[in-house]
Amino acid sequence: MEDRTDGRNANQLRPLGCSRNILNRAHGSARWSQGNTIVLAAVYGPKSGTKKGENPEKASFEVIWKPKTGQIGKQEREYEMILKRTLQSICLVNVHPNTTTSVIVQVVGDDGSLLPCAINASCAALVDAGIPMKHLAVSISCGLMEEGSIILDLTKSEEEKLKAFAYLVFPNSPLSVIDKVHSSKEEPIEHGIITSVSYGAMPVSGYFDCLERGRAASAAISEFLRRSLQKQSSDDASRAAQ
Amino acid sequence: MEQRWANTSRLTINEKQFIEEALRSEIRVDGRRLYDYRRLTIKFGREDGSSEVQLGETHVMAFVTGQLMQPYRDRPNEGTLAIFTEFSPMADPSFEPGRPGEAAIELGRVIDRGLRESRAVDMESLCVVAGKSVWAIRVDLHIIDNGGNLIDAANIAALAALSTFRRPECSVGGDDNQEIIVHDPEVRDPIPLTIHHFPIAVTFAFFQEGNTLVIDPHYKEEAVSGVRMTVTVNSNGDVCTIQKAGGEGILSGDVMRCLRIASLKASEMTTKIKEAVETYNAEVALKKVKRHPSLIAKKITVPDVEMKEASFQKTKELSADMENSPNQTSTSLTTTKDRDTNASIGRPLNWDPYSSSAPAIVSSSTLPELVGTSKDANEDQMMQTDEEYDPNLKKDQIASATGVSSGIHKQNSPPKSLKDAVKPKHKRKKNAERGAR
Repeated sequence: MEDRTDGRNANQLRPLGCSRNILNRAHGSARWSQGNTIVLAAVYGPKSGTKKGENPEKASFEVIWKPKTGQIGKQEREYEMILKRTLQSICLVNVHPNTTTSVIVQVVGDDGSLLPCAINASCAALVDAGIPMKHLAVSISCGLMEEGSIILDLTKSEEEKLKAFAYLVFPNSPLSVIDKVHSSKEEPIEHGIITSVSYGAMPVSGYFDCLERGRAASAAISEFLRRSLQKQSSDDASRAAQ
Repeated sequence: MEQRWANTSRLTINEKQFIEEALRSEIRVDGRRLYDYRRLTIKFGREDGSSEVQLGETHVMAFVTGQLMQPYRDRPNEGTLAIFTEFSPMADPSFEPGRPGEAAIELGRVIDRGLRESRAVDMESLCVVAGKSVWAIRVDLHIIDNGGNLIDAANIAALAALSTFRRPECSVGGDDNQEIIVHDPEVRDPIPLTIHHFPIAVTFAFFQEGNTLVIDPHYKEEAVSGVRMTVTVNSNGDVCTIQKAGGEGILSGDVMRCLRIASLKASEMTTKIKEAVETYNAEVALKKVKRHPSLIAKKITVPDVEMKEASFQKTKELSADMENSPNQTSTSLTTTKDRDTNASIGRPLNWDPYSSSAPAIVSSSTLPELVGTSKDANEDQMMQTDEEYDPNLKKDQIASATGVSSGIHKQNSPPKSLKDAVKPKHKRKKNAERGAR
């Protein structure tokens, strides 16, 4: 297996960093960094009312993506749409009907895997804001090399060179106080996949390899996410009232 | 959207009266005196020309980028400077995405007048080929958190970012001597901008028909006050901009008083900014210190305190072994700026997938010859290495960190890619050495 430009091996992730509750005005905020890719996410909500096309029986989400420099273009709109659908599927939308929760994503640094980083940051920010969710989501990028091997957590140069890569979002397994009766027929929840965005042409077997690898890595990320969220939860206070 | 009005945080009558009453006795809600600034923190990002400023609760980020463009027709031998302000909806529930509102445009204009029209940044040095190609500098200001007094904070962020921005060196050459060659920053050091003076914006808020005035208003004070005035002065005492848009009238004597207070504050602020920039530049220069090409350091995240002690012992043993090694071990230099960024924002948790076993300690070196790397091949520790790094060396070497006089710095920030750690201009040296071997 050839060495990657920064010396990691194929299954290695860049160092992760997560800090919560960093902004004063926002109801929830989080900063997620994967190597040099850093994303800041803030959550306001729930606010009353929904936009015109949205279903008023459910809570709706609004995502605003702010790039580091430059104007907002189609790429940003695509990211907003993907993020919105992902977040809508992990949150409990029936708890607060006819409300809008705004998620604002600010790109601080971009070195590849920008969308996975943003999804992870938004998830942490939603937890910081106290929005009711079914489970957390963890996201990872997987690339397919020519000889069929998979590499994880791509940098920008790798994304540009690879023929095909995918961003995958997996659910985080919920920790329950109640012992689950494990039905052997049922697949555990982590085996589902919430979102998948693929770029470039890859064979079907390659895609399934990506899924396997990504799922395995998502366990590590969700462990980190859980630890970092638990650590800071001691001095939480409801800020939606301010 | 109509429903947004219901969501804007409006001051209650109680709060309003409390703030006004307190100000009558010259007490401010956060305990400051009338002419005190809030705590100012200036941090720099990983790339040149990015800064993050925190003034109390207000949080602003600035990014400076440059591009080669055609100059304006009436100024063919000057570069251009453009300021773009983004009032991000994350800063305040009442900020809407889309078209900038009045406040955003006003902020952009005040900073623009202070920086560009007062000729703070030298434009003529940005000219490459007169009439054809000049550098267009673009400053993007992102307001992340609105705690009040956005103009001052954004101004400081813009100045800090401009001071640390480096543009690539370019020369005119080619066949017809008209072609512009932009040199790679790794080949030739990029050049900083020439900043003649630092225009500092100082915002005043007036209460009770101009009887009380405060500096650096909090957002609640801003909502209560009817009048605001921003004065941009530099440490030489020059007035660059005065902005007072509407509101009640202020006596001219009060305006003069404000100008005097502002010039005092401006010199303090200029010193603070310059100190922060100096510290950052010193760190960057420290990173550029000569390294041995054999082993390049990689910063390892050390998650637990306990592990550090253990690994310190381990590296001490290793260093004893390594004394005889012909390939000198070196110490990598830590970048504190990255660590600071993480440390002062909330309480970050860094997790390094590499450090399953005890990682080595990375220490900073003041001796120019010693270049550091910490790697423990035995423990199968993963490290990020430079693209120039010779893969053969990686497997053979066992490196250790050598303690140096400046002490051991524990690296808490995630390892950056080698592009940041090593100034790549030394690639030439490494290649030459490797060729010689």
